[in-house]
Amino acid sequence: MLNTSYRLFVLLGTVLAVAIVLSLALGPVSISLQNLVMVLLRAVGFDVASTPALEQAQLIVSQIRLPRALLGLAVGAVLALSGVAMQGLFRNPLADPGLIGVSSGAALGAAVAIVGGAMLGGISEAWSPYILSICAFAGGLGVTALVYRLGRRDGQTHVATMLLAGIALAALAGAAIGLFTYLADDATLRTLTFWNLGSLNGASYARLWPLLLITFAVALWLPRRAKALNALLLGESEARHLGFAVEKLKRELVFCTALGVGAAVAAAGMIGFIGLVVPHVLRLAVGPDHRVLLPASALAGASLLLFADLAARLLLAPAELPIGIVTALIGAPFFLYLLLKSRF
Amino acid sequence: MLWIGRFAVVKQIKIFAVVLAVQCCAGLAWAAQGVAETEVSVAAAQRVISAGGSISEWLVAMGAQAQLVGVDTTSLHPSSLQALPSIGYQRQLAAEGVLTLQPQILFGSAEMGPPPVLAQLRAAGVQIETLPVDADLLAVSHSVRRMGQLLGRSAEAERVLQAFSQAMAQHNKQLDKVEGETPRVLLVFSAGQGNPLSAGKNTVGDWLIEQSGGENLARHQGFKALSSESMLALNPQVIIVADRHNQGLAALETMLSSSPALRHTDAVQKGRVIAIDPTLLVGGLGPRVPQQVAELIDAFYPATTVQVAQKSQ
Amino acid sequence: MLQARQLEVRRGPCAVLRGVDLDLRAGRVTGVLGANGAGKSTLLSALCGELPLAAGEVLLNGRVLADWPDQLRAQHLAVLPQHSTLNFAFRVEEVVGMGRLPYATGRQVDVEIVAAALTAVDSGHLLGRSYLQLSGGERQRVHLARVLAQLWPGGEGQVLLLDEPTSMLDPLHQHSILQAVRAFADQGGAVLVIVHDLNLAARYCDDLLLLHKGTVFSSGSPDQVLRAEPLHEVFGLDVLVQKHPERDHPLIIAR
Repeated sequence: MLNTSYRLFVLLGTVLAVAIVLSLALGPVSISLQNLVMVLLRAVGFDVASTPALEQAQLIVSQIRLPRALLGLAVGAVLALSGVAMQGLFRNPLADPGLIGVSSGAALGAAVAIVGGAMLGGISEAWSPYILSICAFAGGLGVTALVYRLGRRDGQTHVATMLLAGIALAALAGAAIGLFTYLADDATLRTLTFWNLGSLNGASYARLWPLLLITFAVALWLPRRAKALNALLLGESEARHLGFAVEKLKRELVFCTALGVGAAVAAAGMIGFIGLVVPHVLRLAVGPDHRVLLPASALAGASLLLFADLAARLLLAPAELPIGIVTALIGAPFFLYLLLKSRF
Repeated sequence: MLWIGRFAVVKQIKIFAVVLAVQCCAGLAWAAQGVAETEVSVAAAQRVISAGGSISEWLVAMGAQAQLVGVDTTSLHPSSLQALPSIGYQRQLAAEGVLTLQPQILFGSAEMGPPPVLAQLRAAGVQIETLPVDADLLAVSHSVRRMGQLLGRSAEAERVLQAFSQAMAQHNKQLDKVEGETPRVLLVFSAGQGNPLSAGKNTVGDWLIEQSGGENLARHQGFKALSSESMLALNPQVIIVADRHNQGLAALETMLSSSPALRHTDAVQKGRVIAIDPTLLVGGLGPRVPQQVAELIDAFYPATTVQVAQKSQ
Repeated sequence: MLQARQLEVRRGPCAVLRGVDLDLRAGRVTGVLGANGAGKSTLLSALCGELPLAAGEVLLNGRVLADWPDQLRAQHLAVLPQHSTLNFAFRVEEVVGMGRLPYATGRQVDVEIVAAALTAVDSGHLLGRSYLQLSGGERQRVHLARVLAQLWPGGEGQVLLLDEPTSMLDPLHQHSILQAVRAFADQGGAVLVIVHDLNLAARYCDDLLLLHKGTVFSSGSPDQVLRAEPLHEVFGLDVLVQKHPERDHPLIIAR
């Protein structure tokens, strides 16, 4: 068992390393292997003679591809981790981070920022990405907090009530988004549509740090709760009888997910299927033990998103596909295949 | 009679305003060019990208198509542009994708983005030219001169601008002579299923109607869906249909099938439905606008134009 | 070891459990009997702190249950619920191994305990199987092995609460499971078990508690509790009570 998970981590680590290298090496602009190596040498402090081609390569790798790869890494990892957390919380292998309202809240926040900003006469171009991110993050956190409040009764969190409250609030958020959609003009509408499809385009270091920090925190925190999550799968009272503070655990899971998904959505828009498919597929491969599942999902989620982004960048170059389309295109059929094959 | 008189006065003022505007901006632009020439590099850009339908049209009109190395998805006219590499939707540009085309200049409207990508492109040495594409002549002349100057085609830019403003002035003169009631117009953008969108204030459609001597019944901002009933209540005398997929009668049929109530409007009853190319309506005023205005005037004032035509013969 | 004093549990305005006194003692198996809805599962939930008490108190080893730190409590009190809703494809030994989560005894010890607990419930052959592929009865045995592993090997100060552990088992396994429970008590632990089968109760329990409409109808040794009149009163069932020909405990035969 330990041996299998060791081999799994070596495999997933290798895949992720390949994904990162390819993300830096490949793109619509072709960079020669020599220049790529030079750029990397320079990055670690070697003195390399400058040529125009090298300067351009350095600019593209350091200012465009690296922040983008880091963004993909963080978004993929945090979405997959949140998926595991939610499937554990709802004790259902088909749960999705969207269930607690974080996605619909973030979408509402984004709609407010995009349409509201346009109606107020336009926010300064330099600030609009930040305002969009902040609104999406706040919306996700706000709606999740509301769902959590609605699920609480007599000092206990009723997961089933939370689920239903999540559905109801998602519908409400949908109505509000619909209203904003109606108020929006043509151009704003398209911005909204594209945002809903997700993209790693336009990654910059300034907007990357908050997400990286949150991803790091979530990736460190959730594995500490792996045993408690295992016990929770038996049932809430069983977990309590095994000595776990279940109320606290549920609160932490909701908080981590709201924070992680909120930040991911704020930075890259709506990217579906990672949170659902990655944990599910890994569970089929290595079993449901969260001590293995959590770190493995983080690695696999990051890799999957990087590969999906490579496809998004290269397929229609010089234009690019929204990444949400690619993840759904890869994820959904693969998921169906697994379902039909395993009859799990 | 009193009504007609009032409109005549309005038209007179309009002509004056147009002429004044064209002259003013001519002067302004020359001055601007004088300043700009000192700071912009002497060599004209040989590789440029256009992220905007009307911008692309102007570039082609001034004979710069050979300098274009890529266009966005709204650059649909002339159709030869569609053979160029597409950089995608103007608001969702991809930094690296644009860089593969090695452009010196990226032309676009204020809608072009997202901002972080523009910043990355700037850092990579691409000149980002954000041009106004508002539906007014001042914006047009400024944008066209700027393009001509950067592409080393100032003379051509002046030529196409002159043709544009002369044609527009001509139309205004023509409008001044027309008699008859100002037609009440609705411009609908048939977006497939559902209620068609109608062009309200601050759209190219609104500008076209006004310049052609019509009264736009839609008073909302931008494009909005109107219900069949409210369109019927407005009872337009002329309906302009812009349909991406159908031209002429087919466009009319599509519109009527999605909103059958329109059958009872004066416009449909009297057969005054005009189909126009929807690519004219997005991304500001392009060089094809005067021609379209001429056609609309013909359609708005059929009797008068015949008279004018006869007089000129 | 687990003592309940004047327990009262309310659901809305009505009391579903009233004035229940109970003392689970070391080395003894206490059976809880009663008709459906008599309050058996409610009692069990109240005893493990799952349900809030309207009155009374529960003491584990002399200390109020709620005052125990979570992990330490889990090392002294294990509960087997009536139904389990585990919906994930854990392997059998992983499920049983969850019983070791309150401990840090190390992998080696845990593996041995898991194997021993599985053998105790006659399920050693299930090792390596996926939980979701098991039958209902096999799953019940695996969960019993889990709670046994939680208190393994059992001793003074440890309490096991079981809600109908034999409900899905075949006759042979009903006996082998209750023998395993008996063996746990023989190590010094205290057991409370809810059973429906009066003869199983008669054979494996040291004390019995007969619940009726939320109160204790009678309690004591099987000989004291399993008599025709109280059984008729509580279950509405006419029975003959005889002596087991070999084992001497009461034998209940429906008329």
